[in-house]
Amino acid sequence: MRIIAIVLAIVFFVLGILYGIGKVNLFTESGAAHAHHITHLIVLWVLALLCLIWARFQSAPR
Amino acid sequence: MTFSQALFLALLQGTSELFPVSSLGHTILVPALLHWNNIARSSAPFLAFVVVLHLGTALALILFYRKLWYAIVRALLASIVRGRLSDDRNERIGWRLVVGTIPVGILGVIFEAPVRRLFGSPAPAALFLLINGLIMFAGEAMRRRQHQDGRKNYKQIEDLSYPASLLVGVAQACALLPGISRSGISMVAGLLLDLDHEHAARYSFLLATPVILAAALLEVPKLLAPAAHLALVESVLGGIVAGVAAYLSVAFLTRYFRSNDLRPFGWYCVVVGAISFVLARRGIIT
Repeated sequence: MRIIAIVLAIVFFVLGILYGIGKVNLFTESGAAHAHHITHLIVLWVLALLCLIWARFQSAPR
Repeated sequence: MTFSQALFLALLQGTSELFPVSSLGHTILVPALLHWNNIARSSAPFLAFVVVLHLGTALALILFYRKLWYAIVRALLASIVRGRLSDDRNERIGWRLVVGTIPVGILGVIFEAPVRRLFGSPAPAALFLLINGLIMFAGEAMRRRQHQDGRKNYKQIEDLSYPASLLVGVAQACALLPGISRSGISMVAGLLLDLDHEHAARYSFLLATPVILAAALLEVPKLLAPAAHLALVESVLGGIVAGVAAYLSVAFLTRYFRSNDLRPFGWYCVVVGAISFVLARRGIIT
């Protein structure tokens, strides 16, 4: 589970960057390429952070 | 937008955001009913005004539950540092709020703009307000059936399972539709998951706080638009009025739901939704 959480965190983080620099425009309001989708970036980074917290819960000593 | 219109809209936002009657639906229907065609809804000053109203509402909610929020945030941080979940009540509530907020965060980013484009006019908003009322009646009827033999115990927020918390979050995301109330539909979900009215309302208000705050903070750049200062006085006063109205609303509703249910709000939504829908279909409100 810890590996899954870390992989998901990396995926969300990278996806956030791709939305932020405008390389991805799936599910965006304008759908325009090269637009900076900051809201998507923030939500994806929050999800990445939650995945890291999930990983932390998996790895701490019991 | 005139000064009196700004104050009226602030009062409307502050109260309807927390009463289970849909603030989004009301901010579409009421200006249409009053024929306020002078309000340029996509202009920079109006968008800045709306951002400040939401900030005022979110701050009022935080202020009302300040002790609980402080305890929740402290418990969450402690559990992250510890790397382990505990049976602390505030920590359990906190993680259930986090889980419940995820669906509306994801679905909001994906669907908010298309939903507003498709349904952001009076007729769909009125129809969804009517449906919102019917959902509250159905929720109350199902809850009464679940508890009619008196053997089933009510739960507290911290007793909800994580899938149940996620379900309440998904229900809350339905409030992206104008006319569907965020607090109403998440309360109905909470009631069906065995919370009593008081705890369902509290969970609904706590769940709404990060969503309203995040939605407002994400729009803060609109306050920096060159023309945004044109409505500076209206925005500041509007934010204060919305905040005070929201605080009084949550104070009233937490007392109200100790011994009352959703049915009066259901009647309101059905009647106002039906009348508005007929008026919209006949072209009297546009």
